[in-house]
Amino acid sequence: MSPLLASFRRFLRYKRPLALGILCVPLSSLGDIWITMLVGDALDRLRAGDDPEFLRGLFLLLLVIAFARGVFRFLQRWWIVCVSRYVENDLKQALFDKLTRLSFTFHNRSRSGDLVSRLTSDVENVRMFLGPGLMYTLGALIMIPVSLAYLLMLNAPLALAMAVPLMIMGLGMKLLSPRLSRHSTSVQESLSDVSSRAQENFAGIRVVKGYGREAQQVARFESVSRQTMGHQVELGRARGLTHAITWGAKDMTFVPILLVGGWAMIDETLAAGDLFKFIDLTFKVFWPIIAVGWMAGVFPRAKVSAARIEELLRDETEVRESPTARTLEHVRGELDLRDVSFRYEGAERDAIRQLSVHIPAGSILGVVGPTGSGKTTLLNLLARLFEAQGKIELDGVPIGELSLSSLRGALGYVPQDGFLFSETFRENVGLGADRPLSDEELTQLCALAQLTDEVAQFPQGLDQLIGERGVTLSGGQRQRTCIARALARNPRVLVLDDSLSAVDSETESKLVTNLQNAGAGRTMVISAHRLSTVRHADRIIVLEQGRAVETGTHEELLGRPGWYRDTWARQQAQEELSEL
Amino acid sequence: MIQKRDNSKATEPAQGRSAGTAPTGRRSDHVDEMVTTKGWDTSLVWRLMREVRGHRWLFAGSFGVLAVLFLLELAGPWILRGAIDGPVNAALAAKSSGALADAAGWRQSLWWWALAYVAVAAVGCGFRYLEISFLTRTGQAAITDIRAKVFAHLQRLDLAYFDRTPTGSLVTRVTTDVENLNEMFTSGLVVLGFDLIKILALLGVLFAIHVKLALVVVAMLPLLIGVSMIFRGGARDAHRTVRARLARLNGYLQEVLSGIRVVQVFRREARVSGHFAGLLKHYLAANVRTILLFAMFFPLLDFVVNAVQGATVWVGGIEIAGSILSYGVFLQFWLYVNLLLNPVRELGERYNVLQSAFASAERIFAVLDTKPNVREPDPERRVELSRDAAFHVRFEQVSFGYIEGIEVISNVSFEIPPGASVAVVGATGAGKSTLVNLLLRFYDPTHGRITIDGIDLRDYDLMSLRRHMGLVLQEDFLFAGTVRENLSMEREWIAEEDLELALENSQARTVIEARAGGLDAAVAERGATFSTGERQLIAIARALAGDPRLVILDEATASVDSGVEGQIEEAQRKLLEQRGSLVIAHRLSTVRRCDEILVMHRGQLRERGTHEELIATGGIYARLYKLQFS
Repeated sequence: MSPLLASFRRFLRYKRPLALGILCVPLSSLGDIWITMLVGDALDRLRAGDDPEFLRGLFLLLLVIAFARGVFRFLQRWWIVCVSRYVENDLKQALFDKLTRLSFTFHNRSRSGDLVSRLTSDVENVRMFLGPGLMYTLGALIMIPVSLAYLLMLNAPLALAMAVPLMIMGLGMKLLSPRLSRHSTSVQESLSDVSSRAQENFAGIRVVKGYGREAQQVARFESVSRQTMGHQVELGRARGLTHAITWGAKDMTFVPILLVGGWAMIDETLAAGDLFKFIDLTFKVFWPIIAVGWMAGVFPRAKVSAARIEELLRDETEVRESPTARTLEHVRGELDLRDVSFRYEGAERDAIRQLSVHIPAGSILGVVGPTGSGKTTLLNLLARLFEAQGKIELDGVPIGELSLSSLRGALGYVPQDGFLFSETFRENVGLGADRPLSDEELTQLCALAQLTDEVAQFPQGLDQLIGERGVTLSGGQRQRTCIARALARNPRVLVLDDSLSAVDSETESKLVTNLQNAGAGRTMVISAHRLSTVRHADRIIVLEQGRAVETGTHEELLGRPGWYRDTWARQQAQEELSEL
Repeated sequence: MIQKRDNSKATEPAQGRSAGTAPTGRRSDHVDEMVTTKGWDTSLVWRLMREVRGHRWLFAGSFGVLAVLFLLELAGPWILRGAIDGPVNAALAAKSSGALADAAGWRQSLWWWALAYVAVAAVGCGFRYLEISFLTRTGQAAITDIRAKVFAHLQRLDLAYFDRTPTGSLVTRVTTDVENLNEMFTSGLVVLGFDLIKILALLGVLFAIHVKLALVVVAMLPLLIGVSMIFRGGARDAHRTVRARLARLNGYLQEVLSGIRVVQVFRREARVSGHFAGLLKHYLAANVRTILLFAMFFPLLDFVVNAVQGATVWVGGIEIAGSILSYGVFLQFWLYVNLLLNPVRELGERYNVLQSAFASAERIFAVLDTKPNVREPDPERRVELSRDAAFHVRFEQVSFGYIEGIEVISNVSFEIPPGASVAVVGATGAGKSTLVNLLLRFYDPTHGRITIDGIDLRDYDLMSLRRHMGLVLQEDFLFAGTVRENLSMEREWIAEEDLELALENSQARTVIEARAGGLDAAVAERGATFSTGERQLIAIARALAGDPRLVILDEATASVDSGVEGQIEEAQRKLLEQRGSLVIAHRLSTVRRCDEILVMHRGQLRERGTHEELIATGGIYARLYKLQFS
C-alpha cells in the first residue's frame, strides 16, 4: 500500500480542486436518489387518487434537480479528473528529470522500452486508480449504502434479498478483472509480435525475395497472426464471462423484486411506488457496484505500478559530484591516464585494461583498433560517463574531484551515432553552447564543420527542422552537425568518437585541418575506424581487447609490422578501388 | 564505410509537412492520422463485406445472438408487468372484496412468474456471454484473414514498392489498420447495425404499448441524438489531438533516452527537462479540453434522459390517475425507455469508430490494389529453371532506370559462362548493385534482356529462378529465431548434412559453436547478438547451405573485427569455387581471383578482361593497380 500512498500524496498537492471535486460527489449521488424517491412517491399519490395537477410542479422540480445534479457531476468530473492529469504531468516530469540525471551505468543496464513504460503505462495505471477510480469509488460509497439503507427502511426482507445478487456481481468483477488484465496483456504482447514479424520481413525483404522465401514468410506471419487471434478469442471469452456475470446478476435482482416485492404488495406492506423505487435504484447502483469491483480488481496492478514509479524515483545510481568538488578556472587540456581499467556490469572481462597514456595539452591522440576493442569506452571514461578504476587527471586534477560542469564544460564530445534531436539546426548546434548563438557565430561554426553548402540548401536555412519531421540528413551531414555542436562550446578538449566515418575523404582532410587550425592549443582525442582520419595525430594508440598494443606516430606505426600496418594497406587499396 | 558517401544534399521534407520552427508545434498534431471526409462509403462497405463473405455464417450467428438477446431484454419487463397487472392486482382486488383465500392463491402463482423470470435471466446470462465472445470470434476470424491476405499481397509486390514505402507505414497496414477493421466489423457494422434495428423496434413496441407516452419519448429523441452527434465531432478531434501530443511526448522521451550520452556530456539536463515540460503542458491542455468535453457531455445527456423520464411520469401519471394506464404497463414502459436510451447514447461513439475504420479500410485496399511490375510469366510461356541447367547468363544490351527517364545503367552487355566468376568494380553509383537487382529479377530491364541458357529471365518461373541462386548482401539480414532457421531459411530441400557442410565450408562453425545451443542458439532481432563479421559469415553459410548454381556476392566494405577477417575471405573463396558468380568486389584479392573483371563507370561498362589483360591495356584498372603497389 505504501507506494500508492506516496503517489496519493502527489494528489494532495492540489487540495482545493480535489476537495471541491470530492464534495460534489455525494451531492450528485443524492440528487440521483432523490429523483427516484420523488417519482415513486408520485406514483403512490396517483394510485391513492390524488389530483394529477401536482404532476406539472413535480416535472419542474425534477428538471431543477436533474439540472443541479448535472452541474455537480460536471464539477466533480472536471475537478477530480483534471487533478489526476496534473499529477500525471508531475509524475512524468519527475521521472523524466530523474532519468536524465541517472548515470550511464543505469542506462546501460535498463532497456529503454522498460523505462518508457514507467512513464506511460505505469503512470496511467496509477492515475486511473487514484483519479477517476477514486471518483467512481467515492460515488459508489455514497450511492450503494444510501440506496441500500433507504431500501432497507422501505422493506427490509426485499432489500436483503436483492442485495445478494448485487454482491455476487461485485465479487465476480473483482475475481475476473485480474484474468481480464492477464489476457489483455497477452493480447498486447502477441500484437507486438505481429508487428515485429512484419517489421522484420519488410526490412529484410531483399533476402526474403532473393531466396524466394515469400510463401514461408507468409506462413510464419500467419502463425503469429493466428496466435494473436487465439489470445483475442480468449480475451473475448473472459470479457464475455464478466459481461454475463454482471448482467446476469442484475437480471437476477428482479427475481426477488418480483417475488418478494409482489408478495409484499399483496400483503400491502409495500406500496406500488416503493416497488418502483426498488426497480429504479437497482439500475442506479448497477454501475457503481461494477466500478467498485473493477477498482478492487485493478488494485494489485496499480500497486505494482506505483512501486515501479517510486523505485525509479529513488534510484541512486547517479554520477555524484564529491562535496569538495573543485572548479578549474582555466583548463589547459592536459589529460593523463594511469593504469585505467573498466569493466561493464555483468561483463566477463575488462573493457579497458591497465591503460596508461599521457596527452599533453594541445596535442592530438588517435585511438584505433578493431570493433569491440574498447575505443568508445575509453572516450566515455574521459567524460566520466562511467567511473573508471585507476587515475584519470585533467590538468593534474583527478576528474572525480572536479565538478561535473567544470569537467564536461571543458569537453566537446561528438558521439559515434551522430545523435541529433528532432529540432531545428540552430537548436541542435546551439545545444553545445552555454548561451544563445548569434547568426554570425553559427555561420562560422558551419564553415568550420564544412556545412556551409548544406545549410545554404536548407529551405529554412539555420532554422531548418531536422529529423523525421523535417529534412533527413545523410550520415555525414549528421556527423558534421555534431561536430559543429561540439565546437559551439569552444571546448579545450575535443573528443571525436569515430565521427568522420561517413564523411568522404576529401571533406575529412579539410575538416581535420579546420579543427586543428581553429582551436589554438586545443587537445583532441579522435577514435576512428578509417586510419586516414588519425594519420596526422601526434600519437596513435592501437587498442586490442582493451589494451594498448601499439603506440607511436603514423610513420612509426607503418614502420613496424602489426595490425596498424596491415589495416592501413588494406584500407588504402579499398579506398582507391572505390575512387575509380 | 567508404561506400557510404556524403551526398551533401538534404532530402526535402515529406509532402504535406511544411517545415516550421516551433519546437513544440501544433503543426504535427494531425499528421499521424488520415481521415476520410466521407461519413459513409457504400462501395467500401460492399467491398469489405465481399472480403469477409467466407465468414457470413459467423456474422449471421452474431446477428442471431443479438436478436435473441434483444427478445430476452424485452421479455423481462413484460414478465414483470404480467406479474403485477395479473396476480398482484388480482390479489389486491380479491382482498379488497374480502376474498382472502383467493389472495393466497395469487400469492402462490407469483412463483410461476418468478420462475419465468429466472429462466429468462439464465438464458440471458448465456447469451450475454455469447454476445461478447462470439462477436470477438467473428471479428477476429474476419480480420485474421484480411491480415494474411494483405501480408501475402505485400510479399508479391516488387522491390520498387518497398524501396519507396517506409517500413513503418507498411507495418501499420498489417497492424493498426487491420485492428481498426475489427472495430468496424464488430462495434461498427454489426452492433451499430443492430442498434439501429433495436431503436426502431423499441419505438414500435413503445407505440404498441401506449401511443401518447411513446409520442413523448419520440419528441425528446432528436434532442438526445443531437447532443450525442455534436459531442461525437468534438470527441473525435479532442482524442486525436491528445493521441498526437502523447505520441510527441513519448517520441521525445525515446529520443532523449537514446541521446542521453549527449545530454549528460553537454550538461543539458535542464534544457531537455524544460523542453519536456513544454510538451507536457501541451499534452495537458489537450487533455483538459477532453475532460471538459466529457464532463459536459455525460451530465448533459443524463439531464435529457431525466427530462424524458420526467415527462413520462407527467403524461403517464395523468393516465394512471384516470385509470387508463395500469401500473404494470407504466413500469414496463419505463424499463423499455431505459433500454432504448443506451443505444441512442452510443450512436455518436459508434459512428466515430466507423469513420476511422473507413480510413483504414481505404489504406488497406490501396495496398491490395497495387499491382507488382515484376510478375510471374503467363502459364503458356513459363519455364522451370532446373538444377541441371548450364546457367549461362547473358546480359544483352541492358538498360535500366529506377525513375523513368534517368538511366542508371545503359546498354550493358556481358556474360557469365557456366562456372565462371565475374567481378564488377566501380565507384558508388556506377550501377553495380543495379546489375545484382536485375539478375535476381527484383526489377526488369527497361531495354534489352537478360537470359539464362538463352531464355529470357521474364519467362522463368520466379521461384525456380531464385531457388538456384545464392545471395550474400553487403550488410546481410538475420532474422529473429535460431541460427538453424537463419541458415536453412525454411528451404525444405536442405538437409542437416547440407547445413553441416555449409558450416564447415563457411568457417562459421567456430563462431556458432562458441554460442550456447550451437545451431539452435537464439538470434536477436536483426542479428544484434552477432558482430558484423559474424553476421557476414552466417550469410555466406546461408548461401552455401542451398548449394547454389549461381552466386551473387556483394562484398562487404566495412572493416570488420580482425578476428574473422581471414575466415570471411576463405569462406568467400569456397562459395565462389566452381560456381557461376557475379561479385561486387571491394578487395583486390577478390578481384584477382575472378575470371573476368568488369569496370563500371557512370552506368556504363568501360573495361573488361582478366586482371592481366586489363593491366596490359593500361586503362583505369591498371592505373589503380599501380597506385596501390607503388
